Amino acid sequence: MDGGMSYQRFPKVKIREMKDDMVKFELRETDASVANALRRVMIAEVPTVAIDLVEIEVNSSVLNDEFIAHRLGLIPLTSDRAMSMRFSRDCDACDGDGQCEFCSVEFHLRAKCLTDQTLDVTSKDLYSSDHTVVPVEFSDPNDPGEQRGIIIVKLRRGQELRLRAIARKGIGKDHAKWSPAATVTFMYEPMIRINEDLMDTLSLEEKRTWIESSPTKVFDLDPVTQQVVVVEPELYTYDDEVIKKADAMGKSGLVEIEAKEDSFIFTVESTGAIKASQLVLNAIEILKQKLDAVRLSDDTVEADDQFGELGAHLRGG
Amino acid sequence: MDPPPEQVNYICGDCGMENTLKPGDVIQCRECGYRILYKKRTRRIVQYEAR
Repeated sequence: MDGGMSYQRFPKVKIREMKDDMVKFELRETDASVANALRRVMIAEVPTVAIDLVEIEVNSSVLNDEFIAHRLGLIPLTSDRAMSMRFSRDCDACDGDGQCEFCSVEFHLRAKCLTDQTLDVTSKDLYSSDHTVVPVEFSDPNDPGEQRGIIIVKLRRGQELRLRAIARKGIGKDHAKWSPAATVTFMYEPMIRINEDLMDTLSLEEKRTWIESSPTKVFDLDPVTQQVVVVEPELYTYDDEVIKKADAMGKSGLVEIEAKEDSFIFTVESTGAIKASQLVLNAIEILKQKLDAVRLSDDTVEADDQFGELGAHLRGG
Repeated sequence: MDPPPEQVNYICGDCGMENTLKPGDVIQCRECGYRILYKKRTRRIVQYEAR
């Protein structure tokens, strides 16, 4: 470091909960810009594989060709390999027709209804040329044993659907079908301080009504000491209801609530294309690549007076 | 150069009879004279972007 002020920080991550399709974690000691960058990368820049081209041979179903093509595109495919795959637009091994193993996967679908019973054509009827890229499996929460596919179209007697589809790597910024994220949210951790002296001036009944004024159960009464305590600060939705209630009771300043500016609680839900934990890791990897692109760019002139500080920052100062 | 134009089949809107039409033909069913004909779906493969 050349004497300038350092901006470098070392964010801390603490995982709270981790399932295949969902993670909750805390991100601390960084600012909102970093938290939001991470959120946006998870939604729009982590690559997955999705059907991008559909060649329909026969379609006598009630849905028109483009409707079916669109539905096929939206089916999430297992994309653990996507990070190491190539975008078909810059694949050297093929001329972008999506036939090669580095950038694409082929699917076939053949279905014909021969009975009087309606035939459901689902994602399970899609046959993949690559066993690592297949439609995601999911089950009914009420019946976890059985795996159900995603319904593409229903056929009545005599109707037929026959097609070939090509899946390619892509990102959510190009089309939402490539987004691996179902929802990614973060909240600021609230800091709740009760003014105990002022609280002691409240009667038990007043305390109860004040606690009740919060739409979420943030506060409660300690059964032993009869004092108001914060039970679940994270349930606070920044609704200001308790503050308004305190004002209305003539007890302004009863509670002080502020959002910690360097502490975030993330909730990440995945579509199933990749595990939610892998989604977070891939997002961090992509964010690092993007920062490298800035640092190593010819346009980043380190000696420039205006950007000298930024240069030092990017060099890790 | 171009392969000879494929025969295009139409179905009569009234009697359901199959008709073959060439460029310049009068649009009329050969069987019943009805003037609404429906074009049949191509047997060729059609390509779509899944977007």
